[in-house]
Amino acid sequence: MSTFLIGLSIAMLLFLLAAGLTLIFGMLRIINFAHGAMYMFGAYLAYQISAASGNFWLALLAAPLGLALLGALAERWLLRPIYAMPHEFQLLITFGLILVLEEAVHVFWGLSGRSIAPPAALTGSVEWFGTAFARYRLFVIALGLAMVVLLLVGIERSRIGLIVRACSVNPAMAAALGVKVNTVRTAVFAAGAALAGLAGAIAGPMLPIQLQMGTTIILDCFIVVILGGLGNIRGAVLGALLIGMTRAYGQQWLPEWIDMLTYGVLIATLLLRPQGLFSKKERLA
Amino acid sequence: MQQLVRGAALALTLVGGMLTPTVPAWAQDAFRIAGVLPLSGAFGIIGENMRRGVTIAIEERNGRVLGKPIEVSWDDTETSTQVAVQKTTRALSREVHTVFGEVSSGSTLAMMKLTEQRKIPQLITLSADDRITGSDKSRYAFRTSNTVAMENRMIGEFAQRQGAKKLYAIVADYQVGRDMWAALKADFESRGIQVVGVDLAAIGTKDYAVLLDKALRSGADSLMLLVVGGDVVTSLKQGADVGLAQKMRVMGTMLMDETLGLAVGPAGSVGVNSTLRYHHTQDTPRNKRFVEAYKAKYKELPSQYAGEAYDGMSWWLDTVESTGVWDKEKWVDAFRASVRKDSVEGEKRMRACDNQAEQPGLFGVAERAGGDGPIVMKVTERFGAASLFKPCS
Repeated sequence: MSTFLIGLSIAMLLFLLAAGLTLIFGMLRIINFAHGAMYMFGAYLAYQISAASGNFWLALLAAPLGLALLGALAERWLLRPIYAMPHEFQLLITFGLILVLEEAVHVFWGLSGRSIAPPAALTGSVEWFGTAFARYRLFVIALGLAMVVLLLVGIERSRIGLIVRACSVNPAMAAALGVKVNTVRTAVFAAGAALAGLAGAIAGPMLPIQLQMGTTIILDCFIVVILGGLGNIRGAVLGALLIGMTRAYGQQWLPEWIDMLTYGVLIATLLLRPQGLFSKKERLA
Repeated sequence: MQQLVRGAALALTLVGGMLTPTVPAWAQDAFRIAGVLPLSGAFGIIGENMRRGVTIAIEERNGRVLGKPIEVSWDDTETSTQVAVQKTTRALSREVHTVFGEVSSGSTLAMMKLTEQRKIPQLITLSADDRITGSDKSRYAFRTSNTVAMENRMIGEFAQRQGAKKLYAIVADYQVGRDMWAALKADFESRGIQVVGVDLAAIGTKDYAVLLDKALRSGADSLMLLVVGGDVVTSLKQGADVGLAQKMRVMGTMLMDETLGLAVGPAGSVGVNSTLRYHHTQDTPRNKRFVEAYKAKYKELPSQYAGEAYDGMSWWLDTVESTGVWDKEKWVDAFRASVRKDSVEGEKRMRACDNQAEQPGLFGVAERAGGDGPIVMKVTERFGAASLFKPCS
């Protein structure tokens, strides 16, 4: 039971990060290589806000908003001018954004690692079936599941989701119908960045807040997105669950082989179903 | 006729060159040190601390040795062995007098091959792999800090003194980790400590929750955490969630200090036992001066990495100064025979057989200063050099 819950908490964190990445790709056709750096920046921002205010909840709210602003500015001034250019330019721009964000973190916070203390209500553990399970992980699971519902409902059932999907499928037609496509693109990138910031803020109490934290998690994030299918939110949920459980049960039974198991799943998927395990022909976002 | 003249001119040039007394180009305008360290990447914080320690060592002698100014160039290895080799090669082409570095044992061993070829002294104040002063030792490479074997003996001794009966281990899955564990396991068992389980974790593991859960359910009273870099922070932070340090005796080599305590947070740090390479509370005149100078310049207490870097570099420079000559072979010979009576950790003695400094060892436990202040290490055990080093054969 504890392994299952740990796997679920890993999956929810991965989903929060991967959802932003797949959202951006689904709408903008951009693979945002700076996504891991945004996650890192979100963690540092959350650390700073919680350290200054003593309020974890404020940090949890403000860090994603800060990243949303950053994402909006990045889309407007860095990406919009190069949509018509070859993909290599997008790769270079987002890679450049990584370097800028990492250097900004280095300048403002230095090289020392940081830590966010969870709020008192989420510290400690609960005993279930003779095993101690961290309260904070239960919170991560609950928040992750809430975001799954919010994103799926938002994208599949709401008018905003309909507009986003229309802009991704046929931006010219959407523009002809009066939709401000550029504004939608900015909003989607901002939302994706906000999700990265939220993931960073959530990860703060669980993982080391340090310069390399984006690099170490982004690989798993890309695996989730590839497994689920680029631009597929439902796929991202299932991909995150698959990777989360692989890592948790892999650690339980075969800890030395855990990376091989994870990348083995990726290789098998690319060979057998390169469009993603859960991808449908039409894109949801 | 022209050919004859050209041939004569060439011959004269060659003979003249051979007869001219050769003065090395690097000899006497400045004493050049190449600091080849990770200043970015996973070990960047460690390299930065080492740089600070070296800076204090140089500043306290007014930046001079043998009557000439000391010039230090810092090359960032970006926590990559490949880059370390490239940067060392470039540094050696600048005809430096000393190479300082690196952090990771793999990088250090690779650099040693180059410095040995070029016969340039290399000072090592962190990398612990036994091969550095063992199977791969070099006349020109000196280590003034701890070895793996030394740390292992401290851990085994500590566990026995603390009354450990059953032990679980989580070990970083790389060669040094595996070798270290193999030696430790044998040592623990020879002391009557039962090893009830071991898990190998890939470096960079993001989630230790399952492994820590296994350790807690194993029935062990002690947990050996042999992890490195960011994994120390990850494992201890996640251990805090389940009260790890309160339920088991947690110990490791270089597992905790004030810098790591900041990253882990108090909940995950308090109660963690660790070997200490250096500690700012050591009561020696030199250490007090060093701590004063470090606090004045950097507004914080020196870490283990800074302390060891300062100690090694100041010892080396004092030895160079004592020879009075610009002859690196004499510097090497002098260092091999030197004793540092007033090092920041107590007496250190360089062994000519392997260029390894014999020294005392420290063990400490993390606690909060003043009850609710920042994490500080309290020195709980001190081991004499005789108990930590086997005599040269």
